[in-house]
Amino acid sequence: MPFTRNTETIAGEGQGATKKRLVGIVSVVFLVALWQIGAAVVGKEIILPSPARVLAEFISLAPTGEFLTAVLSTFLRGLEAFAASCIVGALAGFASGRSETVRAALAPLLTTIRATPVLALILLALFWFPSGFVPIFSAFLMAFPVMAASAMQGARAAPPELLEMARLFKVPRAKVFFELRLPAASPYFAAGARASLGLSWKVVVAGEVLAQPRLAIGSGLQSSRVLLDTPRVFAWALAAILLCGLTEWIFGRIVTRGAADGI
Amino acid sequence: MAYSLIAIRRSFGDLLVLDGVDIEIPPSQLLVILGPSGCGKTTLLKIVAGLDPAFEGRREGFERARFSFVFQDHRLLPWKSAVENALFALSGSGLSRAEALTRIERYVGLSGLGGHADRPIRELSGGMRQRASLVRAFAMPADFLLLDEAFQSVDLKRKRELMGVFLDLRAMERNVSILVTHDPAEALWLADRVIVLSDRPARVIDAFDVDTPRERREPGTPEVATLERRLNAALLGL
Repeated sequence: MPFTRNTETIAGEGQGATKKRLVGIVSVVFLVALWQIGAAVVGKEIILPSPARVLAEFISLAPTGEFLTAVLSTFLRGLEAFAASCIVGALAGFASGRSETVRAALAPLLTTIRATPVLALILLALFWFPSGFVPIFSAFLMAFPVMAASAMQGARAAPPELLEMARLFKVPRAKVFFELRLPAASPYFAAGARASLGLSWKVVVAGEVLAQPRLAIGSGLQSSRVLLDTPRVFAWALAAILLCGLTEWIFGRIVTRGAADGI
Repeated sequence: MAYSLIAIRRSFGDLLVLDGVDIEIPPSQLLVILGPSGCGKTTLLKIVAGLDPAFEGRREGFERARFSFVFQDHRLLPWKSAVENALFALSGSGLSRAEALTRIERYVGLSGLGGHADRPIRELSGGMRQRASLVRAFAMPADFLLLDEAFQSVDLKRKRELMGVFLDLRAMERNVSILVTHDPAEALWLADRVIVLSDRPARVIDAFDVDTPRERREPGTPEVATLERRLNAALLGL
């Protein structure tokens, strides 16, 4: 009997996954349909272009050198911001988790950054940095507290009874750090990195809209807006969405494989 | 060399836990400290290990002693294998990695872990985890092996198996093992010497050697039955 019940559960889970996917597809179709209806009702491309019109614009834009280099530049900016926020966030967060003094010292900075509106930060950065660096700096500053908050939790994730075991066996501190504290913290690092990745893209593109570097998705968005080319604004936005989705998917794969390897 | 605890008293605030405990420990003995739950057995074990300096009384002969531990909750790193867990613990022993591995392999061979020795702990059953914990404890070079209710969380059959593994591993290592438990049957199965503690505040209320060879220690055999009655009487305060 238990065996039968097990197979039923597995079959049930399989059905659940299929059902979930189906609901997802229906939901996308519904949203596109809503968009299509909205576009038909509005009837003005400059206000709301139809999905087909945006797709056509995207397909015509995609192979151009201007578009590809812009996407690549934005991608590199996002990657730099993400890498910097991960490294600094992990170090700052882990240190705060381990030491009350570090935590007290960093708390005002983190709270201030968290409360600062993204746009205020970008506008200030415009005074300080060249246009290509403004998006990176802003995204880094917005994303690293997210990573820091996760890393701080991670620093406290090692079970106290395992730490006591290590202490009783007189395991050297470095060994405890690398083989107990870090592995116990890794799920928190992964969650923090995922959250700062998503945030990095959004702030990078917002920074580009205002800073107008020569090659950037954000600059493409802004110049299309100035030309009142709404379908093109949508097409650039679509590029940003795809970039974000793709990197999150790749990141998810890496994390899943890491977990399977027992990191 | 003998080790001794003399007139050990320990209080936590107003709560007196140990009230003048005397224990003499000859070398290479398997000593079982039996007492009711919460009587201060773990506290006593901590004092033996030198982890609780806030006691009154004398602790003699332990100056250079090295300790190893078996916990009730195995306390293994779930993402590491049994061998890696033992290596992790032995990194504090001063042995080289190769020496440590040699010791670990020897105990793995006796433990019945077999092919499970290289699988992550989180994939192992409770019984296999306790074996891994025993391998780690024995592989650690130590004068004392301290076991805190180490066989409590498993059913009778597994408990017998694990105690068998424990005795097999112990045959290799002539250190002092001190096991605390509240189970008279476990005490009589394992002990060279049994020390019985009273309810809190704990004092030694009985102590005797168990000379019966292990093959004649099945429950119900006359010698064991007599000793078991004696232990039950002491624990029940009759």
